[in-house]
Amino acid sequence: MDDIEKKIVDLVAEVLVDVNKENIRLDSKIVEDLGAESLDIYDMVALLEDEFGMEISDEEVEKIRTVQDVADFIKASQKKS
Amino acid sequence: MRRRVAITGMGLVTCLGTGVDENWNQLTGGHSGIRPITLFDPKRCQTRIAGEVPSEFDPMQYVLLKELRRLDRHQQIGLVAACQAVEASGFVFPPADPYRYAVIIGSGIGGLSTIEAGYEVLREKGPKRMPPMMIPMAVINLLPGLIAMRFGLKGPNFGVVNACASSASAIGEAYRLIASGSADMAITGGAEAVVGEFAISAFNALRALSTRNDEPAKASRPFDRDRDGFVLAEGAGMLTLESLEHAKNRGANIHAEIVGYGATSDAYHVVMPDPNGAGACQAMRLAIQDAGIEPERVEYINAHGTSTDLNDKTETLAIKRSFGKFAYKLSISSTKSMTGHALGAAGAIEAIFTALTLERGIIPGTLNLDSPDPECDLNYTPKVMVKRSVEYAMSNSFAFGGQNVSLLFRRT
Repeated sequence: MDDIEKKIVDLVAEVLVDVNKENIRLDSKIVEDLGAESLDIYDMVALLEDEFGMEISDEEVEKIRTVQDVADFIKASQKKS
Repeated sequence: MRRRVAITGMGLVTCLGTGVDENWNQLTGGHSGIRPITLFDPKRCQTRIAGEVPSEFDPMQYVLLKELRRLDRHQQIGLVAACQAVEASGFVFPPADPYRYAVIIGSGIGGLSTIEAGYEVLREKGPKRMPPMMIPMAVINLLPGLIAMRFGLKGPNFGVVNACASSASAIGEAYRLIASGSADMAITGGAEAVVGEFAISAFNALRALSTRNDEPAKASRPFDRDRDGFVLAEGAGMLTLESLEHAKNRGANIHAEIVGYGATSDAYHVVMPDPNGAGACQAMRLAIQDAGIEPERVEYINAHGTSTDLNDKTETLAIKRSFGKFAYKLSISSTKSMTGHALGAAGAIEAIFTALTLERGIIPGTLNLDSPDPECDLNYTPKVMVKRSVEYAMSNSFAFGGQNVSLLFRRT
């Protein structure tokens, strides 16, 4: 995992009360595997936006399934800016 | 047929410390919990002292770290006090019939500190950055909701908002639910944690707070001639109440019984008490009538005693009007002299102290009562605690807005 991916795992772990950080992998599905509910997703989005200084629209959030998807999205938008 | 209501568990988090025994030791030792403010930089405020929950406070024993960031400080403190009370009660949740178990919790301003921080985010970063937990952390009914979730309680559940009488009202309402048969057991009490620039400056604008910044431990001085306002404090007090039958069936340890509840309004002024004390007097009378006893059976009053000019005078007058010549035989004290004023949590904190007075035969003193106000001429147990075995004791709570609540307790 690179630094961005590690940071994302940290933030996901911070939000999801019942998940051990060791069990969060890049291919973990955030809802299906990690058990995130809507409030957890909103909470993660707010933390990610704050951490990476960007905005993630609700449409983009809809497309995200795995931790890897989050990392890809953030890396792509960092390249754009 | 009205049922008797027993106190079977208690939990406390205040500026004096965490836990019932720690609080009682500090209180009967005559120690003040008032210190210079550390939770924010108070240099712009007129008042720079408060009763903060000490930094040793460790919610991790009861609350997961990841949950903590989704809780306002009043919810953290309240949840810990509720867990202490439940643990002390020895009752194992969830119960067989969860709809018979109520949670009624008071708070004056709930998540004001969260709102204060959220507003900064809104101004600085814009609406898109508003934290998603803003509303659940701000509203007052979430703490009773959280307690219900923790213990699996599905009976009547609500927050009580009644300024400085909030948790006294909550306890009174919980007592009635059990007495009337609508619930068998309740977790009740209150929590408050608004020591921040917003609340301090807002109460300063009302000229309500002491500005004795150089002598924090001497700032809260109820009934003293040199008092100059109340001292804002954080805290939570939680109790488990149950019908006497429910408590006895499971062999619970009973600390005291609640036997009376009186509630009135002054219908007078937004922040000043009625100078005749009529509403406060009537609340005390109603509590006594509710218990079906003669007023002279009451031997101790844990006063509202805020250390403001108006409260202490008016409360004294109201006590005299309620008790007549017996007023001078009462032991009275204001434990706010040591805890400061935890607003919506004060009533519950003081209800617990009152129950402990009955249980342990000790009346806490009124710290800093060096030279009584000539208009305050009752026995306020100046400075140090006294031993007195008491059968009936009352706790008063009065609110900005004119609400008056008196709770009456009996030794078991």
